[in-house]
Amino acid sequence: MTPESLSSPTIYRQLTKLAIVGAFVLAIGALVAPERTWSNLLLVGFYLVTLGLGGALFISLNNVCGASWNICFRRIPEAFSGLLVPTGLALLGVLALRYQQYGWHHHGEGDAGTFWFKELWATPSSWMIRSVAYVVVWILLSRALVAVSRRQDKSGGVGLSILSRRLSAIFLIAYAITFSLASYDWILLLEPMWFSTIWGVYNFAGMVQATLAAMIVLTIFLRKRGPLRNVVTDEHLHDLGKLLLGFSCFWMYIWFSQYMLIWYTNIPEETFYYMARTQGSWGPLMVVNIVLNWVVPFFVLLPRPSKRNETIMVRIAFVVLIGRWVDLYLMIFPSTVGGSPLFGFLEIAGMALLIGVFGRLFFQSFAKAPPVPTGDPLLSESLHYHC
Amino acid sequence: MSDRLLLATFEQEDDLLAATSEVRRRGHKIVDVYTPYAVHGLDRAMGLKASRLTWVCFICGMIGALGMLWFEHWVGSVTWPIDVGGKPWNSLPSNVPVAFESAVLLAGFGSVFALLAVSRLFPGKQAHPVIERVTDDRFVLVLDEADAQFDVSQVKAMLMPFNLVELEERVVSAGGTH
Repeated sequence: MTPESLSSPTIYRQLTKLAIVGAFVLAIGALVAPERTWSNLLLVGFYLVTLGLGGALFISLNNVCGASWNICFRRIPEAFSGLLVPTGLALLGVLALRYQQYGWHHHGEGDAGTFWFKELWATPSSWMIRSVAYVVVWILLSRALVAVSRRQDKSGGVGLSILSRRLSAIFLIAYAITFSLASYDWILLLEPMWFSTIWGVYNFAGMVQATLAAMIVLTIFLRKRGPLRNVVTDEHLHDLGKLLLGFSCFWMYIWFSQYMLIWYTNIPEETFYYMARTQGSWGPLMVVNIVLNWVVPFFVLLPRPSKRNETIMVRIAFVVLIGRWVDLYLMIFPSTVGGSPLFGFLEIAGMALLIGVFGRLFFQSFAKAPPVPTGDPLLSESLHYHC
Repeated sequence: MSDRLLLATFEQEDDLLAATSEVRRRGHKIVDVYTPYAVHGLDRAMGLKASRLTWVCFICGMIGALGMLWFEHWVGSVTWPIDVGGKPWNSLPSNVPVAFESAVLLAGFGSVFALLAVSRLFPGKQAHPVIERVTDDRFVLVLDEADAQFDVSQVKAMLMPFNLVELEERVVSAGGTH
């Protein structure tokens, strides 16, 4: 199967249909329940942007380490980063649509000592300028990374590997700063009076976890049905599984670090965030979040054979992807919609939009280049990888 | 195991891997394979079963976590309850960090000491390499001549295509392989 036949009209059409139906339901929802619809759009937009960013992060980390195992399926994270242009711009649109949703710091509220800075930081104009800057930086750097990798297909050579390693180092520094700030600006600022210094790391953990899960699903799909057959081996799958297991534990560690300090000190200006998320039906949802993101992946992926089993890996990856949705839902919805947790047509439409847009953009982007980076000097090392 | 061993020495890891697979395919008994470094794929070539060390690690970790959770509960809310910040005595979140640490500690120590015990390694143990160069640039495949039909010349002929460097028969005492 060639990449052309993969982007066969049927897959394309169905994913596009899914996205259109989702968008249509959400468009109606915007008239009926604008706040809830917007929250769904923010969730989907942030989810998609972090998947795109996660792809670029995965490539960069491996480039900087001089890793070779990932090269044979590197086109998958590269195609992920292709998501950044459309979804990044769409997310900016969503943010601009309802910027007043972010309860801006009103004069006289909050800590007197740092108040002037918060006020300056959280004005709509400076907030919007920053948001645009983050997206532009991510798009430019990730496009550069992908462009170098594709140029290597034609010319080969070590020089371009060194260039992408340098680019990756720049990306990692830029990413660490901008993504941390972006997660504060776009999600945490929904609760402007609340603060958590671990917020950026917490979002990083969830982002990497979801990216790995999505990569596992697509790697297995492209190995079974597409051009990565006989390219990706159980060894690669095993390592992806190890990373997913590790990042599930990391997510849990960070989640608990944030929760425990607030629980322990028990100061009202911090605890109200968790009060809103533990009372009523939100409490069980918090437990579901932990079960999906850590308990299930941890105990299932712990034994060696399950990390080398396609069926188990795909199932766990889907559990984690749903868990990521629940995690973001718990970050966003209690602050915007409030009340009891709602799950209805709008949320399902949001998920349809998420899957449709992601799949469509992924296959479109994946078909643009040869499925395996043939020019990379470390490719044969990657093909013979043994972990 | 009989007391007669056959030591086949190779210069390249690829030769060793191929020879090991071939020997196993023919049904000869492999005592062990000695290499200067970890050779990928050798476990499969030798037909080794999956290590049980992971289970030791998991069980030790669970004992560490659950044991410490129980202990903290017993200390904090049964024998010596102390009011800390108005929290309930049996507060789970306050017990998690120590339970986590002791799970890691016991899993780590458990794995290391189980490995040392199973491999009979202890401080001051003398090293007895099958041949000196196995710690440098030689790969040694050790076969058991238990089978009555074991024909050294036949085995030698079989191993020759894999660039056999040396073939040595060795008789060992009941105490050890060396």
